[in-house]
Amino acid sequence: MKILTKLIKLQNLIILLALFTTLGCKNKNQEETKKIAVVISTLNNPWFVVLGESAAERARELGYEATIFDSQNNTSKEAEHFENLIAAGYSAVLFNPTDSEGSVSNVKRAKQAGVPVFCMDREVNSLDAATSQIISDSFSGCVELGEYFVRQLNKKGKYVELLGLVGDNNTWNRSKGFHSVVDHFPDLEMVAQQSADFDRSKALEVLESVLQSNPDINAVFCGNDAMAMGAYQALVAAGKADSVMVFGFDGAEDVMNAIHDKKIKATVMQSPKAMARTAAELADQYIKGKRDFSAKTPLAVQVVTQDNINEFGAYGSEK
Amino acid sequence: MKKPIKYILTALILGISVYNSIYIKKLNELKDKKNNAVFNAKTFASDFMSTKIETLKSINSSMFLNDIAKDVKEYAETNGNNLGISNDYYFIIDGNATVINIKEEDVVISLNENSHRILKIATDFIFGNAIREGAKMANIGDYQNTMDYNNISVEVNNLVRETIVSPFGKSVKEGDAIYFKGAVKVNTKKPMLDSLRVIPLLLKINK
Repeated sequence: MKILTKLIKLQNLIILLALFTTLGCKNKNQEETKKIAVVISTLNNPWFVVLGESAAERARELGYEATIFDSQNNTSKEAEHFENLIAAGYSAVLFNPTDSEGSVSNVKRAKQAGVPVFCMDREVNSLDAATSQIISDSFSGCVELGEYFVRQLNKKGKYVELLGLVGDNNTWNRSKGFHSVVDHFPDLEMVAQQSADFDRSKALEVLESVLQSNPDINAVFCGNDAMAMGAYQALVAAGKADSVMVFGFDGAEDVMNAIHDKKIKATVMQSPKAMARTAAELADQYIKGKRDFSAKTPLAVQVVTQDNINEFGAYGSEK
Repeated sequence: MKKPIKYILTALILGISVYNSIYIKKLNELKDKKNNAVFNAKTFASDFMSTKIETLKSINSSMFLNDIAKDVKEYAETNGNNLGISNDYYFIIDGNATVINIKEEDVVISLNENSHRILKIATDFIFGNAIREGAKMANIGDYQNTMDYNNISVEVNNLVRETIVSPFGKSVKEGDAIYFKGAVKVNTKKPMLDSLRVIPLLLKINK
């Protein structure tokens, strides 16, 4: 009887050992295919689609499982994504924030959970939350664009500025870079400055309304290319497309084509592909043990005009 | 325990806890502290312009033009400053020169050590980050909001316009011998070394 009991105990022990070994192997396998989350402010804009897809593609090339989350320009939606991805055990987040202030808490929550966050294109207002922030040097780009703008208008005329999302630092870096130049020319008069949230349809509506009270404008400066396309549509509808110059920012494909066709005057080329690649590579380095990252890594941008358009492809690829 | 002792002990404990949980400070002191914590680009730029220019390390302009022409990329990576991932490099250069032409946006000079070497001293369109990056006077990673960092350039450029360029523009004429110190930007893909534009930090007309 005693022998039988011992045998049963031994059998149970073997079953337990087998169970542990199986579970152990399962965990090991999970470690081998680590996951990277790509959280994007909105996928309702082709520029951000390229940013998200390029980040996911580079992460996959580096051997990770990558998933794209769309925050739909909504910080609450973004917070939900962060909760889910922390719970799901993602190893890193490649993050395009919806709001420089509102997104800080999400990044901090990930940090507390031991998940590194690499910001792309937009920054958060905290130096110790994200592991690193890869951003475009929007200010310098708009300084150069501002100089080009002034020369194209021969230092005089009336213009409208369409701002992006007011809670995004990029909106102000671009606007202030532009004004750091243009405001030094007293004969250049800004007749309206309104936000169109980086959105093409809103830009169309806003400019249509502005044109009713200011039909004699000479130029429109837009904080991104989606708004530049919306502004151009409004000018076409008003029969002013040939007399009003439109300036954008991004280097999106439709605007690059419009510059080539001499419909839009200029844009600033920032490369979502380069930013996304850099973020994915930094995340890979973090996962492999590197901890010393610079807080911010700006990427240079270039002004694209009707004169140099042939040197560039869309979204930051050089010909 | 007797009641009076109980009351005294309770009052003592209450007193100590209240004393340690309430702090009274003057409102203006708190406001001053908060204001000091906000970065002031104007003060930062003004301090730099008034105390750092004379001693700022610079490269002799003639030597700079000779050496960078040999291998732009290698020279820039070794001797220049750049911001993040970029082909733009910034340098602080100086030298003695003669004014050969006064134009609307710049003053054209030829270097005394090599009169074939031409540079432009910017007197208009003074924008961008050439001085901030050339002098490496700040680090972007120290600024929570990148706009604070960009405002340094805005304020430095304002001071250059008001205190350096304006008096120089009023008195300079062709043939003048000058000493200059300033910042230049070189793009390693499009160097254009024959038409470099110096954003001045120091301009002296030698009498």
